[in-house]
Amino acid sequence: MKGEFLSEKTKAVLWKVVLEYREKRKMALLRNNLEYENFREELYQIKKKAISEIESLKKKAISALKENGINVFEAKDVKEAREIIEKLAEGKTKIIKSKSNVFNEIEEEGFLTDKELTETDLGDFICQIMGEKESHPVLPAIHLTPEEIAKKIKEKFNVDLESKPEKIANFVRNLLREKISQSEIGISGANAITSDGKILILENEGNISLVSKWPQTHIIVSGFEKIVENLESALKIVKASAIWGTGQDFPVYVSIISGPSKTADIQNQVVIGAQGAREVNLILIDNGRTKLLKEGFEELLYCINCGACLNFCPVFHQIGRNYGSKYLGSKGIIFAGFSESFKKAVDSNCFSCTSCMACYQNCPVKINLPELMKKLRGYLEKENLQTGVNKEMIENIREFGNPFGKTEEGKIPKRLYCC
Amino acid sequence: MKIFEKILGGNTLYYPGCLTKFVAKELKEKYEKILRKIGIDFIELSELEKCCGSPALKAGYLEDFKKLAEENLKIFKDHSVKKIITNCPACAMTFKIEYSKALGKEWNIEVLHISQVLEKAIKEGKIKKKEIKEKITFHDPCHLGRGMGIFEEPREIIKSQGYEISEMELSRNESFCCGGGGGVKSNEPELANKIAKDRIEQAKKTGAKILCTNCPLCYLHLKENAKEIEVKELIELFEDL
Repeated sequence: MKGEFLSEKTKAVLWKVVLEYREKRKMALLRNNLEYENFREELYQIKKKAISEIESLKKKAISALKENGINVFEAKDVKEAREIIEKLAEGKTKIIKSKSNVFNEIEEEGFLTDKELTETDLGDFICQIMGEKESHPVLPAIHLTPEEIAKKIKEKFNVDLESKPEKIANFVRNLLREKISQSEIGISGANAITSDGKILILENEGNISLVSKWPQTHIIVSGFEKIVENLESALKIVKASAIWGTGQDFPVYVSIISGPSKTADIQNQVVIGAQGAREVNLILIDNGRTKLLKEGFEELLYCINCGACLNFCPVFHQIGRNYGSKYLGSKGIIFAGFSESFKKAVDSNCFSCTSCMACYQNCPVKINLPELMKKLRGYLEKENLQTGVNKEMIENIREFGNPFGKTEEGKIPKRLYCC
Repeated sequence: MKIFEKILGGNTLYYPGCLTKFVAKELKEKYEKILRKIGIDFIELSELEKCCGSPALKAGYLEDFKKLAEENLKIFKDHSVKKIITNCPACAMTFKIEYSKALGKEWNIEVLHISQVLEKAIKEGKIKKKEIKEKITFHDPCHLGRGMGIFEEPREIIKSQGYEISEMELSRNESFCCGGGGGVKSNEPELANKIAKDRIEQAKKTGAKILCTNCPLCYLHLKENAKEIEVKELIELFEDL
C-alpha cells in the first residue's frame, strides 16, 4: 500500500459526517417521494442510453452549443486542454475558480502559475490556503477542524477569528468578494450538458453563479460523458447529485447556461455581454474516456461525481485520498489506469480494494465498480503489474488446485489468499 | 441411494471450499454433521475438490478463472452433481453468479449457501428452536449479503439457537466489510487488520458479547483482530454438534 493511514481523529470526523449524511439522504429521498432502488434504476437507464449513443449526442450538443454562441473546444488529453485554457487566458491575470473535478484532471505543477488563481468554493479555498489536497470530492476540507482553519487564517491574513464555521465562512465571503470583483476569467465545471445546448451547473454556496457570471470570460471544463439527451434527464441528474452528494432534496442553485449574456433592450438590437459573461467557452476533454468506452468500461462514464461510493468504502475510511488518483476511490483508480497509466492505477492502491460492493450499493447510477476493478486487475496481469503475493497465489492454484499450495496435515497455511 | 438419486436427479455436493477445508477445519466437521442431522444426503469431492476460482478472479487472473470454471464443471458433471451446498459465501457467489457468466447455459447446477438450507430445515421443524438466552451481533459477509441478497436466513438460524440479535449501525445492505476480501488480507495485511479492528469496535458498540458471522474468511479475520468480544462462526452456535 502506498501512503499513510488516516489519523484516528480524522477517521472519527469522517464517520460522524457519513452517518449524518446517510440519514439526510434517506430523508431527502422520502421528501422527494422517491424509492431508492427505483430512482437508481431510472438514473442508470438515463446514463446507459446517453453513453450508448454518446457520439451522436456529442455532435448534436456541439452544434447546438455553437449555435447558441458558446465556443466549444475538444481536447484529446490534458496537454491539449491546458493549451486551450492558456490561450483563452492570454493577457489576463485574475482568475476565479469554482469546484471542478475535470480541472483537477488537467492541473499540474506550473500550470497557470503566472496568473492569480483563486478558489471560490469554501472547502477548496481552505485547502488552497492550507496547502493541502482535497480529501473528498464533495467535502474537500472534511479532514480539517475549525481550530486548524482559524489558526491558518491568523498566520496568513493576520486576522483573529473565533474558530466557528460561520465566522470562517463570513471572513472568506468578504475576502472573496474583493477577488471576484476584480476577476477577468471564471473557470467552472459542469454537472450536465444537454444535446440541445444547455449547460447545467449546481451549487449551494453561490460562488459558481458569480464565477460563471461576473468575469468577462467563462471557461467551462467538462468531460463529454456529461452530455444527456434533454433537460428533463439533466435535472434528474442534478437532483441525484444533491441527494447522493450531500443528502439534500435539491441544490440551492442550479445555473442553466445556454449562451453568453445578451440584451436587446436598446431598439431591439442584440448586444452580447450585458451583466453576465460576454464569452462562454466549453472545453470537452477526452483524456482516456474513449479508451474506457472501447475497452468495455463504459459504466465508469455514468459517474455523476457525487462521491457516495467513498462514504461507506472500508479502504477510504483508512487511507482517505491515498485511495485513488485524480479522482478518489475505485472510480479514480480505474480512471487513472486509462487516463494516466496502468502503473499509476497500481500506485493508487488498486490492490487495496476488498471487493465488498459497498460502492456499488451506494452508487446512484449503479456503476458496478467491483466488477470493473476485477477487469482492471485483468489488464494489470497482462502488463505484468501483479503483486508478488498474487503471483504466489495463482502458482499454487495452478499447481495444487488451491491458493495455499502444498498443504501439510495438521498445519495451517501461513497466508490466507482466499476470497 | 446414490445410484438411485443419480437416476432421479443427480447428487447434492457439499463443497466446503479451500479456506474451510484447509484452515477452518473445525467448521467443516460441524457443517457435515448438521447436514446429516437434517437428512441431507450429500457427497464430497475431498482430494478431487478444486478451488472455485474466486481468488484468481478477484486478482484479475481471468483466463485462469475461466479454466477453473471449465475444469470444475467437468468434475461436477463426472459426479452427477445437480446441486451444490457450500458454507463459503465467496464460493457460493462464484458458482452462482460468476460461473453463469463464464460458462453460460452449460452451467445449470443449483447453488445454495448453507444458511439457506439450514433456514429451510428450521421452517420444516428439523432443527429445534431454543429459548432466547443471550444477546449477539451479526456481521453480514459482503459476498453473502450484498453479493447474493441473503440477509434474513442467517438471522433466523441465529435466533433458532437462542440468541437475540443486536444489530450494528451498519448492517444488511449497509454492512461494513471485515477488510479481508478481494485479496487484501494477503496483499495488504496491515490495512486488512485496521479495517477489521474498526468493524470489531462497531460490533462492541451493540453491547453484545459475541460477534457471529457465517463466512470462513470474515470469521478467521475478525477473530484474529478481536479484543473483548468473542467471534463465532454461525455453526459454532449449535451447541449439540
